[in-house]
Parts: sequence; structure tokens; C-alpha cells
Amino acid sequence: MEARTPFLEVSEAIVASGAETLYWCMQCGLCTGSCPWRLVPGHISQSFNIRKVQRLGQLGLEGFESEEVIYACSTCAQCVVRCPRQVKIIDNVRGMRSMLASVGTVPGSYRPVIGSLHSHGNPWSGERGKRTEWMKGLEVPVFAEGTEYLLFVCCTSCYDVRSQKIARSVVQLLGKAGVSFGVIGEEESCCGESVRKIGDEELFQKLAQGNIALFQSKGVKKIITTSPHCLFTFSKEYPELGGEFEVIHHSQILSRLVKEGKLKPSKSSSRKIAYHDPCYLGRHNEVFQDPRDLLQAVADGQFQELDRIRSNSLCCGGGGGRIWMETAPGERFGDLRVEEALAKGAQALATACPYCVVMLEASTKTMGKEEELPILDISEVLLESI
Amino acid sequence: MDKIGVYLCEGCGIGEALDLDGLSKVATGEMKSSLCRRHGAFCSQEGMQLILQDIEKEGIEAVVLAACSPRVLTEVFQFPDKVVLERVNLREQVIWGLPGGDEDTQMMAEDYLRMGVVRVQKSQPLEPYQAEVEKSVLVVGGGFSGMTAALEAAKAGYPVTLVEKQQELGGWMAKQWKRYPVHKPYRDLEEVDLETLVSQVKAHPGIRLLCSTEISSIQGAPGMFQVSVKGAAGEESFKVGSIVQATGWKPFDPNRLSHLGYGVSADVVTNLELEERAAREGKVTRPSDQSAPSSVVFIQCAGSRDPSHLPYCSSVCCMVSLKQALYLKEQDPSTAVYIVYKDMRTPGQYEEFYRKLQKQGCVFLKGEVASVSGNGSGKLMVEVDDLLTGERLSLEGDLVVLATGMVPSMALDTDMAGPPEGAAASPEAQTQPEATSAADRQKEGMVLYLEYRQGPELPKLRYGMPDSHFICFPYETRRTGIYAAGCVRQPMDTLGAEEDGRGAALKAIQCVEMTARGEAVHPRAGDRSYPEFFMQRCTQCKRCTEECPFGAINEDEKANPLPNPTRCRRCSICMGSCPERIISFKDYSVDMIGSMIKAIEVPEEEEEKPRVVVLACENDAYPALDMLGQCRLKWNPYVRVIPVRCLGSLNLIWVADALSKGIDGVLLLGCKHGDDYQCHMVKGSELAQYRLSKVSETLDRLALESDRVRLEQVEIRDYTRIPSIVESFLERIQEIGPNPYKGF
Repeated sequence: MEARTPFLEVSEAIVASGAETLYWCMQCGLCTGSCPWRLVPGHISQSFNIRKVQRLGQLGLEGFESEEVIYACSTCAQCVVRCPRQVKIIDNVRGMRSMLASVGTVPGSYRPVIGSLHSHGNPWSGERGKRTEWMKGLEVPVFAEGTEYLLFVCCTSCYDVRSQKIARSVVQLLGKAGVSFGVIGEEESCCGESVRKIGDEELFQKLAQGNIALFQSKGVKKIITTSPHCLFTFSKEYPELGGEFEVIHHSQILSRLVKEGKLKPSKSSSRKIAYHDPCYLGRHNEVFQDPRDLLQAVADGQFQELDRIRSNSLCCGGGGGRIWMETAPGERFGDLRVEEALAKGAQALATACPYCVVMLEASTKTMGKEEELPILDISEVLLESI
Repeated sequence: MDKIGVYLCEGCGIGEALDLDGLSKVATGEMKSSLCRRHGAFCSQEGMQLILQDIEKEGIEAVVLAACSPRVLTEVFQFPDKVVLERVNLREQVIWGLPGGDEDTQMMAEDYLRMGVVRVQKSQPLEPYQAEVEKSVLVVGGGFSGMTAALEAAKAGYPVTLVEKQQELGGWMAKQWKRYPVHKPYRDLEEVDLETLVSQVKAHPGIRLLCSTEISSIQGAPGMFQVSVKGAAGEESFKVGSIVQATGWKPFDPNRLSHLGYGVSADVVTNLELEERAAREGKVTRPSDQSAPSSVVFIQCAGSRDPSHLPYCSSVCCMVSLKQALYLKEQDPSTAVYIVYKDMRTPGQYEEFYRKLQKQGCVFLKGEVASVSGNGSGKLMVEVDDLLTGERLSLEGDLVVLATGMVPSMALDTDMAGPPEGAAASPEAQTQPEATSAADRQKEGMVLYLEYRQGPELPKLRYGMPDSHFICFPYETRRTGIYAAGCVRQPMDTLGAEEDGRGAALKAIQCVEMTARGEAVHPRAGDRSYPEFFMQRCTQCKRCTEECPFGAINEDEKANPLPNPTRCRRCSICMGSCPERIISFKDYSVDMIGSMIKAIEVPEEEEEKPRVVVLACENDAYPALDMLGQCRLKWNPYVRVIPVRCLGSLNLIWVADALSKGIDGVLLLGCKHGDDYQCHMVKGSELAQYRLSKVSETLDRLALESDRVRLEQVEIRDYTRIPSIVESFLERIQEIGPNPYKGF
């Protein structure tokens, strides 16, 4: 066996790139055991061991750079909430990816995403001018002085046809409830959450600073997001860059509006409906109860809890930049989630994140379960019943 | 004892389960007791009053109390010293495990009553052995443990003589540069600050300090040790009451570690060498060129937890290396520090310190060192098979530190496993054995120079540590009145050493006080009996002097035993060993137990009621039998239990007594023996086993089967197992058939 030499300079560079708790790791392996990749077969599952990734990082040794290793992490935070040493494992992954990005190594599938973000301000190669196309046929107020909430629509819901329905549902519900809200539109850029996770710190800084300046110039104080990823970065990352806003996710305000009687679900759903906790709404932002309250109000006794819920929820597989990467059918976490919902007798699966909708629908499609188990955003479920 | 009062308690269901009239008849009729009384609860004030009145007005000399187990309510059943008390266990061991109103249950109760009465008939009131006792303490060793012991004993008002071989107090601790954290938040280095303790020890009027002094001999026994020393101030001799041995440790010999690079370069050092050098220079430097190292590799368990070197863990080396790693990180945060370990052991709050070093970027590698070599340009290369990457890593170090372990000061080379790596060691190492003179070698590991029949030092366990009952009774050794404290008895850190010093000082004080009252110390604490020798019949066979686990008995030149009652733990192993049966206690003797066995009524063969005598160790087996009753587990009505002080007091005549009486079998319940023995008397159950191997002679003489006698090792927690042990023994007896001596 050829001996390899640790390069502590490399590990110091990783720490400097954001992996501040890299050395806290005592290599117990609880992270690897908790990782959703253990639940699926295949090459990535066999290659990606987060405990070992951090070990290599600590020693500055090569072997973590490839797509199926360091880029496998979906930043679901299942390991983070369980780590006995409170290691910020996602930050460590981000630091390692960031160190790689700084020397120009980025997986091929990220190139168009990064290019699009640079040129259009969104990851989906949509023209900036088409950012508001989702509004077609709807009266959507424009954010102006005196508007209480900025409605920040996730790029995915701006450009993806399926996802646009989520934005439309949210707008209609807020309108019915008489909430003072408005959108900014074309001037907005992607929140930058996922691009930071894939390691492009510079691009994230650019996007974030652009948005902060924009929001501040418009006098934004409160933001409703349609994606938990935007919620995360606005509330947990923007403040360090000077962007202090009061941020909530649409499931939170909708739940409040129902409780206040401003939205009254009338038609009760006759189908059994289950809820999938998005990692970024649940584990990352600890919003567990609002979506459940909402579904219980709508589903009228037909709400079905899954087995893996709340802080033990199963990731859809779309976070941390995985949404732009290919995962072979049969290796997708979404497949397991769909199976779980069906086994529980669910007739619809609600969630509260555009990424989750994309990933779970990809699974129902390849599994031929589209009809059996529609994937819905929680706002869509609510709108149906009103 | 002639005036015997029998007291039958009716409480706790005894009155309902047994025919007390029948028991009364046994007491006053067959057993001829002076009187027999019954009461609903003798543990009540009224009940006790009844007994006390009889003692006063009726002249009752012995009380046979047939009620609950002798292990309970001991604080209630207190009688004047002159009264002999025997408690017949009708509750736990009769009615709780057997059906009430049953013929067999009644027979068992009656037998126990007979045995109880016989026991007091054969007992004498105790006359404690009282001698003039010197209430002072000798502490041997002036390190941290020894100084703590000396100061604590002196503060408690007991004069102390502290003997230290070196010129100065302080031991190994004084050689440390800094101390790892022992206060919250357990993250920062602390000053050693031994000066405060040293000056307190020197200033205390109750402590006489003898530095540069060694023991030349110790004679006598607890309360009356005669200690001779020689040292810088010449020779002298003085008396002490008890002794604390705190002679500490010595470093494992690194010359055995050439496979880890010791001797390859001056820059491969032990943790101790690094510490002493750092303390001297106030910083960490390389021995070869006095430069500050920019990379350091620590190798943990260097020779430790290694069957061919030091098989145990010294428990402190992980923390020591972390401390030294922090020296380096504080000296220059960019120093690369690698710690190669088997397991990092940082128990309790020390985890905080481990975490601190992790956070400071020390690289911890779990794995095995494959090689240590020079790279030709002044650096050392350490190759490690790293478990966590599954790869061989090559580490470059300016300095390699071997975390070597602690060896108890009493250990000899022969106590350790494996020969030194003679051939590979450095030239100095090879010449070392010759340089050691025969006299020096003889002195190795010698401290106390006891003038004891069984040898001059504390008996040792594996690896040369004095047997100090490390689980149940720390500090106890196999020599009464001599307590081991600190690293001599087990590797430990300074906090442990401090606690040990205090603990051993307390034991030493307890010893002189109890000895002055004529009481036994641990484990039969407070026992005021002691063995008496009927010397006219002694055959000088030496069995008692050899078998006493505590070295209590010396010998004169004609091999006559010379008992030292204050060394005695009252285990009565000597009583079991004596073929002439000349050793007995006032309340425990060969004749007494033999007579109790003979008092058992053995039914005729045709009644098909076998009888088995169970001799049960008082420390584990007897309480386990009580627990059996407390849990209401059913057990066999044909057994008759006799508690013994230790199974080592088993005298083979008892087996003969039982079998010639027609009893079908003898079951002995003793403690676990072997390396991890649980016997409170160290060797008792082992000796019983050994004696049983000789019992076949006796059985042959009686033409009986040797399977009629069986020894089982039980722990206190084995109580659920005992019924099946008894059943299987009775099954075997059934197969053999009834004892043909029935009815003789």
C-alpha cells in the first residue's frame, strides 16, 4: 500500500472556505448512518460517505472531489440534527465544494446553471424579461410604498410550468384574504441559496447583495417566500450581509389566515392526504406545525401522517444543487417517499417546496403513479377547498 | 452457655405458617432451654423489653431469637456484651420460600431451632483482644498521594511520619511543567503548584518528615508496627499504628520500543522526557538542535495495551499528550500536531479538553504505527495505517513523542509480559542489565521490608500491583493495617492520586482506632472475636501460617505458629486449615459447626426425605439465600443452611460429621475464585476447593461416593440460580441413593 501524505494546508484552506467546524468531527459515523443515501442502492450510495469525506477534508487528502462524492450531499441536514458534536456538516460540505470551486473544478451539470445565474439571475435559463410570465391572467399587485409584504416567488415557480401553479395559488389566496402584498418582478434575482451550497460563494455574494440592495431601495420590511430555500437564505444568510427582513414562508401565513378566519376552507377534501416535510422548511427552519394545521383544516380527518416526519423527514433529493443533477430512477429518495405515501393509503401527497414538488413528481412519473398520487403544494390544496 | 432463652417470633407470618407449640417443645423439651417465649413482634419495644427482662431477672446468658434473618434489624437486636445472641432465620429462609402448615417446612424450622440452640451452647462471650496501640501513621512515599495522605491524617490529629527516598518531596508531579485542566471549564492548562502542599506538609507540627530515607525493616502488627529506617540522618527505629504505601510508579522502559523509533534519533522522545525538558526550558524544543518543532507526531499507547509489553491502559497518557499538544499549539498555532491513537480515553469532563484540541486543528488518527524512521534530512517519517480512511498515511515530524505508560513502583521486570527487544535496542540498553548489580536487582520493587512469614512486601496481582481489592474496597491490601494509595496500586492521574491519599489516610486512622478497641478491620469490621490456638496439640505442620491470606501468623524457628491478633481479619481460614483442629474462636469453632450438623434430625430411609447440608459463605451466598426468600422464590425443604465466615473455614471433619450422621449430601456455596476473585478473604473458596480435592480419602474411608460433596461458586446476584443448583445436586443424590449411614 502506497503511503499518502496529509496536506494540512489544504485542510486549512477548506476551513477558511466556510468549513469552520471541520475539526470538531470525531468520526463517529452517525452522519453516514443517518444519510438518506444509505436507503437507496447504486454507485452514489456506495461512493458517498459523509464521515469519510470530512476525514479526507481534515487531512487535506484527495478523494472527495468527484460528483458522486462531495456533490452527492443534498444538504438535507438529517446528519446535522443528529451530530453529537454539533458539527455544521453542511457548512463543511459547502466549504469543501467552495474550495474546489475556487480552483475551478465544478461538475459539468452546474455550468449552465451558473451561466444562467450570471446572465439572467435565475438558474433555469429563463430570460429575465419572462420572470413574471407566471402571472398571466392574474391581477398581481406590484410592491409599492405602503405594501406590507413582498411576495418573493422562487425562480422555479417563475419559470417551471408546473411550479407556476404554486405561485398562482399563493397569489389568489393572499388576495382573497385581503393581505397587503406585492411583487417586484423582473428586477429580482435568485435568492442564491442553492448556488452557495454548490460552492460558488462569489456568485452567491453577488446575487444576495443585488437582492438586498433592491429590497432596501423598495422599502421592503417583510417577505413572504414561496420556497423554503429562499426562506432559509433570507433569514439565515442575508442578515450577515446587511439584509435584515422579517421573512415567512407561505405555509405560515396561510395557516395564520385560516386560523384568523380570513380564509375559510369550505369544500372538505374527500381524499386521504399525506404531508411531506421539506428539509428546508422543517429541519432547517423548524416549521413543522403550520402546514399540518392547514392540512387538518382542509382534509377534515383525512390527513395522514407518514412514518418519517418532522425532524426525521426523508429528503426529496433536490437540495444542495442535486435538483440540477441526474439521479438514476431506483436511486431517488423521492421513489421511497412515494412508496411510503402509497403504503399509508394516501391519495395525494402535499408538500410546501417547489423543489420537493419537482422531485416527487419525477418519481411518480417514472413509477407510473401520477394518477394514483398527485403531488401538490399546500397552497394548491387550500385553494381547491375554497 | 447454660441459661438459654428461646424466643419465637409470631410476626411476619411465622405464627401462621409454623406450629409454634411444636417449636416450643423442641426448645424446652428436647433442647432443654431454660425458657421459651412467644411474642407478636420481638422487634417492637415491648418484645425487646421481654427479652431484656429475662436477661436481668432470669439470668439468661444466651438468646436464641427465632425470627427474621440475622442480616436485618441488627440495630434493634442489641444486647449486653456478656449475652450471646443467635438468630434463627425462620422468616427469609423458611416460611418465605416454603409452604406454610407443611410437615417439611415445620421439620426445617425445628432443625434450625436445634442448630441455633447448639450454636449458643458451644459459644462463649467475647473477650476482645486489647493491646496497647500506637495511634500514629507511617506514610511511605512523598509524592502527591503520600503528601496528601500525610497531611490529611495529621489534620485529623494522628501523628504522621513521612518517609521519602529522594531528597525532596513531590515525586513525579513536581517534574511536570504544567497540569492539564482539573477545574471547570476543563479547557485550560493549569499551574502545577505543588509548593503549597509541600510547605503545608513541612510546616505541620504533626508530621515528621524523613527525606533521603528508606525503610530497612518493619516488624509487628497493626497498632504496634516497629519501623526501622536508615537515611541521611542515620538509622532509627520507631513505632507506628498503621501504614500507607504511596510509592507511586516508574515509567515503562522505552528501550523496549525500538519498533516505534526509540533510539533511532534523539528526536524520538517519551512523554516524560518531553515534559521534563519543557519544564526545564519553559518551552518545547527538539533535543537534536534545540529548535522549536514545526510538526510533531504523538504515538499513543506506546507499549501500552500491547500483550507483548504493558498489557493495560495507564489511563493518563491521552490527557498528557493532549496537554503537550496544547503546549505546542500555544507556542505556535501553526505547529502541525498529529496524535496517533488506539482509543482516545478522556473520561468525564476531560472530554472538554479533547474537544478543545480537536477544535484547534490537532489531527487525530486512529490506527497503528507501521514504522518510524529518519528521512535523512533531520526529519522523522511516521507511517500509520489509518483506520478511518483505510489508507497508509505518511506523517512528517520534527519530533516524535511516545506516550509510554505507568508501571507500579513495586513491579519487577518479571511482572510484565514479554522480553525486552534486546537485540534491536540501543547499545546503552544492551549494557544496562550488566550495570545493575545483583544487590540492586534484589532491591528492585522492595519498599517495606516486612518481617512477615509470608514475605517482605505487599502481595501483588498481575503486573506487579499490590492486591488492593480494586472494585469493592480500594486501598485494602492483603496486609492488615497497610494501605496502598496512588499509582502504586493502579495508574491514575493527579486528581485520583489526591483522592487516594485521602482515602488511604482514613483507612489508616480507622485501623488504629478499631485495633485499639480490639475489633477487626475490613471486611468483618467490628468483629471482636479472634483465633485462639490450643498449642499443646500443634504438630508444627505450617498449614495455618501458609494459608492465612493476610500473613497474620508468623512462625518461630521450630515452626510453631505465632499469631498476631491485630493482623487477623477473622476469616477463620486457619481454623479450616488445621488438621488437629486446635484453632477456634469463642463464637465459631470446628466443634460448634460439627455439633450443629449433628443436631439435624435425619429421617429414616423409608420416609424418603433426604437431607442436604449447605455451608454458605456469609458474604455472598447467605445474603443470596435471603434474597431468594425476599423474592418468594420456592426452594427445597430438604436442605439445611449453615452460614460460615468464609468457605475457607471449611474443616473437612464437617463433611465426615455430616455423612456419618446419615446426611445425604453436602453442598458448599462459596465465592468466585481465580484472577478476578470475589472472595472477601481473597483465597477462601479457592482453598475450600483445594481441600475438597482431598475429601475423597475421607469418603473412601466411609465407602461413600465423592459426588455427595459439591462446591458451587455463586455471586450475590445469583440468587435466582440457587434453586436450580440445589435441585440438580438433589437429583444427583437421588441417583446415588440414600446415605447408607442413616439410622446408625
